[in-house]
Amino acid sequence: MFESIDDVSRRFAEQKYICNRNIATVVYLAARMGKPILVEGPAGVGKTELAKVLSGALGEELIRLQCYEGLDEAKALYEWEYGKQLLYTQILKDKIGEVLAGTGTLAEAVDRISKQDGIFFSEKFILPRPLLRAIRSERQAVLLIDEIDKSDNEFEAFLLEILSDFQVSVPELGTISARHIPIVILTSNNSRELSDALKRRCLHLFIDFPSASHELEIIKLKVPELREALAEDVVAIVQSVRKLDLKKSPSISETLDWARALAILNVESLGEETVTDTLATIFKHEGDIRKAQGEMRDFVARQKAKAPRPEGGANPDDKDVLH
Amino acid sequence: MDERILEFGALLRQHGLRISPAESLDALAALGQAGLGSRQVVKDVLRATMVKRSVDLPAFDELFDLYFSALGQAIREASEATGKSLSASAEDYQKLLEQLEAMLRGREQKLSEIAEALLRNDDGTLEKRLREAAERVRTGQQQGNRSFQEGQFAHALSQEIGLGEITRQLEELADQMEGQGLDPETERRLRELVKQRLADLAELLKRVARLEGDRGDPRRRDATKLAALAEKSFYYLSEEDIRRMQEAVTRLAQRLRHVVAIKRARAKRGSFDLQRTLRKNLQFGGVPFDVQLERRKKHRPQIVVLCDVSDSVRNVSRFMLQFVYSLQDLYSKVRSFIFVSDIGEVTRLFDDNEINQAIDLSLRGDVINVFAHSDFGRAFKTFHRDSLSAVNGRTTVIILGDARNNYNLAHEWVLRDVQRRAKQVIWLNPESRATWGFGDSEMDRYMPFCDVVEECRNLNQLYRVVDRMVLD
Repeated sequence: MFESIDDVSRRFAEQKYICNRNIATVVYLAARMGKPILVEGPAGVGKTELAKVLSGALGEELIRLQCYEGLDEAKALYEWEYGKQLLYTQILKDKIGEVLAGTGTLAEAVDRISKQDGIFFSEKFILPRPLLRAIRSERQAVLLIDEIDKSDNEFEAFLLEILSDFQVSVPELGTISARHIPIVILTSNNSRELSDALKRRCLHLFIDFPSASHELEIIKLKVPELREALAEDVVAIVQSVRKLDLKKSPSISETLDWARALAILNVESLGEETVTDTLATIFKHEGDIRKAQGEMRDFVARQKAKAPRPEGGANPDDKDVLH
Repeated sequence: MDERILEFGALLRQHGLRISPAESLDALAALGQAGLGSRQVVKDVLRATMVKRSVDLPAFDELFDLYFSALGQAIREASEATGKSLSASAEDYQKLLEQLEAMLRGREQKLSEIAEALLRNDDGTLEKRLREAAERVRTGQQQGNRSFQEGQFAHALSQEIGLGEITRQLEELADQMEGQGLDPETERRLRELVKQRLADLAELLKRVARLEGDRGDPRRRDATKLAALAEKSFYYLSEEDIRRMQEAVTRLAQRLRHVVAIKRARAKRGSFDLQRTLRKNLQFGGVPFDVQLERRKKHRPQIVVLCDVSDSVRNVSRFMLQFVYSLQDLYSKVRSFIFVSDIGEVTRLFDDNEINQAIDLSLRGDVINVFAHSDFGRAFKTFHRDSLSAVNGRTTVIILGDARNNYNLAHEWVLRDVQRRAKQVIWLNPESRATWGFGDSEMDRYMPFCDVVEECRNLNQLYRVVDRMVLD
């Protein structure tokens, strides 16, 4: 359990996740109040990552439920393993015969069997899906319900019920209550409006694209092998590109991809060629690449005009090797 | 503090955020957990519990800043400024205040609460009282159904707190300083202090009135303006209006996309599908544990748009094209043509360029001659000759024009052929129905071959038409 908002930030930083004050506050509240968090924001800003980091910071298991259209109760909660049941009945045919030995009428036979029917509907034959696993978990878990906006209304209503009580009634087994209420994180890409009831249940967290300084911190943390000057250039370019009207603006995960690519390629400075070659890591649409090319060219030209960097002066390769 | 939060919730509600009592309670509980340590924490906590949609974020941020710091900050600033003007250091100022305090305690007559708070530098009480007074004045004005005027509000406010009485008391206090046995310097400064605080109060009252003006529905005004814009006829739009209209169209398209997605999803489940059930349950030896229902195929209608871009209907065409292309992903294929007297396809322009640019390009005159006189008949004939293949059983054809043909040949047989081939033909006329058929309008010739004929003079009508188009 977290002791304070600062504690959250600290533990997240240990997991290599730089979170701003807002995220830390909401996570702290969710942990203390036992409310789920609904995380919204553009793709790639770290919504799913947040759940992973949270489970790491708490040292608890991460249980993940990926939502899609057509996801229903069976696939989310539990299923009976019909195949297994059929198999067992077949294998145990002889044994069943033994059990029924000595019964005269059909009614007696049914009676005797019904005394045993607890076996075939026992825990052995239940296939627990994420939600049931979260409920039955021995310790408090982190439950990630990813892309809830892709599921349909019926599933949402069902989920709401579960989130209110964390209790499930399996007719054959009775009611199973959660021993520890998990911390629930729901992510949404806002492709449709979620129901009011669900929204009211949750605390809201909007994660937007990071600020320049923030983004630089993240790159330094996650791609430490990249040179600082290069990292600054990367951040500057991406920040300016986001201001353009693109189909899909690059988010922090794309920035990291680009940073890693540059590190792998052992790039010394961002020249026009390098930029053009590696553009594909941050843009996913042809139209966007074209639009951004102009912007990139301007940036590179500005860099050249600003200050001539001492190229090959103090053996930059050595520095990389040392890292 | 609780009341403040609830009041803030009411303010948010006024500006369109949906805050229910449950959310206010959540906010209070959350604040209890997180503590009131810093302003940022409070803001984050309230944001997490009260804001449920990302579109509400900017409004929340603005209102939070307005509500929670503006007045308090103003009061603090005033106190600080006064302190600075009177003495060099903070300690001096503190000593002055203590002396004043001692004097007040020794007096027999008590001052009014606000006057005391003012002199004691009791910012909290001062803020509270001013707010309450503002609230009372506000309610009074709302009941009287008066529109807001800053000066008048300030005046009413000063009457509410009893400014006259406070002034009198403080002046009396200043006069009474003589017989208190203080050294002349201190006496002078105390008198100065009292006078200054009085001036501060007057200033604060003005500030409150200004804040009141700021918080009074900037967003609501916007919303009503937008509704008015949607009702405004396309012909009477100014430059500014056109720009706002574009935003409105994009937003409407968004909303429609959501609505359609939900409606389509609901229409999915059908009746029992034997084939799929058996196939799915082969793993269980054919026993139907998992029943499969028929899934109705999602069909996406195809659209062919013919837009008249002559001067008379230029505005409407612009928005129609914009709207249709904003809904691109709801249709499997959109092909658009523009015409005045000759006709040309602009689908490529929309594929290659961003939507507004494409509209500009097509209306510029590169594709067809936009300066000619309208000749519907000729345009239709050309369409029939060159592009009739674009129309098939899944296509919805939309024609946008006023049917004013300049007394040229109407060639309505083209429309007859089109109607036979297409799923439906919709004609949208930006003119009012009363003028159809008069003068050179050929509407009565074209109407029989159209499935739907609608007047399309403003944004709302446009929206309804597209709505119907998509849901069929």
